Amino acid sequence: MTIVRLVLIALICGVLLVSQAAAVKIEITAPGEQSIPLALTSFLPLNQENTEIAAEIDAVLQADLQLSGLFSFVDRAAFLSDASMLGLSSVKVDFAQWKLLGAEAVIKGGYRLDGDRLVVEARLYDVVSRRMLTGRRYIGKPTEVRRIAHTFADQVLKSLTGKKGPFSSRIAYISNRTGKKELYLMDADGHGPTRLTDHRTIVLNPDFSPVSKELIFTSYKKGNPDLYRKEIYTGREARLSHRSGLNIGGRYSPDGREVALTLSRDKNSEIYLIGTDGTIHKRLTTHWGIDVDPSWSPAGDRIAFVSDRRGNPHIYIVDIESLEISRLTFDGKYNATPAWSPDGKRIAFSRLEDKQFDIFTIRPDGTDERRLTFGPGIKEHPRWSPDGRFLVYSLDLDGEKAICLMRADGTGQVRISPPGGDDSHPVWSGQW
Amino acid sequence: MQNRALIRLFVLLALALMLTTGCAKKTAVDDAASSQTGVTETVVDDATEAASSFEEQAVTDSTASATLTAAEAEVLVRKLMRVYFDYDQYVLTESAKETLYANAQIMKAAPALQVIVEGHCDERGSDEYNLALGERRALATKNHLVSLGVSADQLGTLSYGEEVPLVLGRSEDAWAKNRRAEFTLQR
Repeated sequence: MTIVRLVLIALICGVLLVSQAAAVKIEITAPGEQSIPLALTSFLPLNQENTEIAAEIDAVLQADLQLSGLFSFVDRAAFLSDASMLGLSSVKVDFAQWKLLGAEAVIKGGYRLDGDRLVVEARLYDVVSRRMLTGRRYIGKPTEVRRIAHTFADQVLKSLTGKKGPFSSRIAYISNRTGKKELYLMDADGHGPTRLTDHRTIVLNPDFSPVSKELIFTSYKKGNPDLYRKEIYTGREARLSHRSGLNIGGRYSPDGREVALTLSRDKNSEIYLIGTDGTIHKRLTTHWGIDVDPSWSPAGDRIAFVSDRRGNPHIYIVDIESLEISRLTFDGKYNATPAWSPDGKRIAFSRLEDKQFDIFTIRPDGTDERRLTFGPGIKEHPRWSPDGRFLVYSLDLDGEKAICLMRADGTGQVRISPPGGDDSHPVWSGQW
Repeated sequence: MQNRALIRLFVLLALALMLTTGCAKKTAVDDAASSQTGVTETVVDDATEAASSFEEQAVTDSTASATLTAAEAEVLVRKLMRVYFDYDQYVLTESAKETLYANAQIMKAAPALQVIVEGHCDERGSDEYNLALGERRALATKNHLVSLGVSADQLGTLSYGEEVPLVLGRSEDAWAKNRRAEFTLQR
C-alpha cells in the first residue's frame, strides 16, 4: 500500500470563510435531529467523460454524507438544467433552480483525467446565501479517487459543522479470512481490506498510535500472548512486551508516549503503564481480582478498565496520578470493553443483557447511561471515530462476525466489512 | 511393504487410543498402587498387554529413566486428561480434582515430562476478560497438581481465553466442553 499523495489546494474561500451568513450552519452535537436538504449532483467531465470515475465519486460522497445523518437528499429525478452545468464558481450556479427544489446546499464538481493524473474540482454551495462554502481541487492518481471523495466529504462536514469528518481515516481489525486470526486495515467504509500480519497463530486486539502510522496488538507468534508494535507502511515489527503470562489489551496514551496494558507477570492480571521502549513505568492496579481492558481518557489522566473485584465484571476508573479507583457501572451482570470518547464526555462499553451483549454509553461520572443497540446479535468492542461522531463495533449474528458502524446516538447502523470471514475487534485510527 | 507399515501404524494408533481411554477407568487401581510406591506400572501393563511389545518398551523406559523421547512424551501427555470448569469459574470441581489426581500420578511417575497447562474459556464474555480467566484456570490446575506432589518445574501455563474452542457451536453443551484446562507438551 502506498502512501496516498494528495495535493490539497484551498481555493478562493478567504472572503467566504469570514462570512457568518451561511444559512446551513448547524450544531454537530445532534446528528439526525436536523437535516439539511442537500442536492448532490454528479461530477462532470472537464475533458473527456469517464463514467467510472464519476460513479465512484458519486457513490462515496452519497454513502459518507448519508452516514453522517446530517442530510436529506433532494431527489435526483427532480433536478433541473443546472445539474448538468459545471458551475465551479458561485456566479455560474443558478441558485433559483435549487431553491425551487427545496435544496439548502448543493455539491457540484468536475474531474479531469490526464494519463496517470486525476484532477477533481469539488464545491459546496449555500443556496440561501448563494455562496461557495468550500472549494477544493484534488490532484492524485486515478486509483485514489475514493480517497479524494472521502477527503471532500470530510471537508463538507467541516464547513457545515466546524468539525472535520472521519471518512478518510482507517479502521484496523482482526479477521480469520486466511484461517488464522490476523491483523487487517481497511478504509472507514470497509473498502480495500489489507492484511498486515502473517503470524499464522492468533493476533488480537489492535490499537493505533496517535502520533505515527503504527499499530500495537497481541500475538501468540512466539507461543506466549506478547504485545507487538508494527509500522504500517514499512511493515517493521517488534515485540514491545513479552513478560511471562499475559501481555494484552495494549492502548496508546493520547500523547503516544506510553502504553496501558494488562500484564499477569505476578500470576494475576493487573493494569500497567509501559514506555514505548517496553519498560514498566507504573503499576495502576493491585487487586486479586481480574483487571483488564484499559481505555485512556483523552486528557491522559485517567483510565477506564474492567474488573471483577466486586464479583461480576464491571467498569472502573483509575486516576493515574493518585491511583484512586472509582466504580463506573452498577447495572448489568457483565460490563466490558470500555472506550472513552475523543471529547471525553462519554464512555462506550458493552453489557450482557438478555443473554447477549449490546452497546451502551455513560458519562464518566456514572450518570446518563444510554443503550445504543437493540435487536439480534452480539455487539461488542465499541471504538470511537476520531471526530466522535461514530462508533465502530463487532456484530456477531448467528455466528457470523462482522464490523459495523453507527452514529454516536445508535442510529444509522451499517455493516462495513465484506462477507467471507469472521471480522472483529475494530479500532478507528486518528485523522489520517 | 506399504501394507505392513500401515498395519504397524494402525496398531500404534489403536494402542495410543487404548492408553488414553484406559486411563480413566484405572484411577481406582492407581489409587491403591500409588499409596505404596507411586509407580503406575499396573496401568501401563494393563494397556500394553493387549498390544505389541514395542509400546511396552517405550512406556517402561519412560517411567524408569529420567529422560523421555519425543514419542514417549507424546504418549504420556495424551494420557493427561482435560478438566472442566463451571461458567465464569476457575475453582476446581470435585470431578476435576479426581481427574487431576490421576494426572498427578502420571506426571510424578515421569519427572522428565514437561507440560503446558492451557486454560480455555467458552466464547461468552469479553475476550480480554476471558484471557485472564483462562490464565486463572491454568494456574488453578497447575497449583492443584503441585499440591499433589507434581514438581512445579514440570508445569508451565498458557491462556488462550476463548480463542481455541474444543467444539464449535452455541449450546450449553458446547460451552461446557470449551471451559477447560488441557495439557500439551512443552516445546
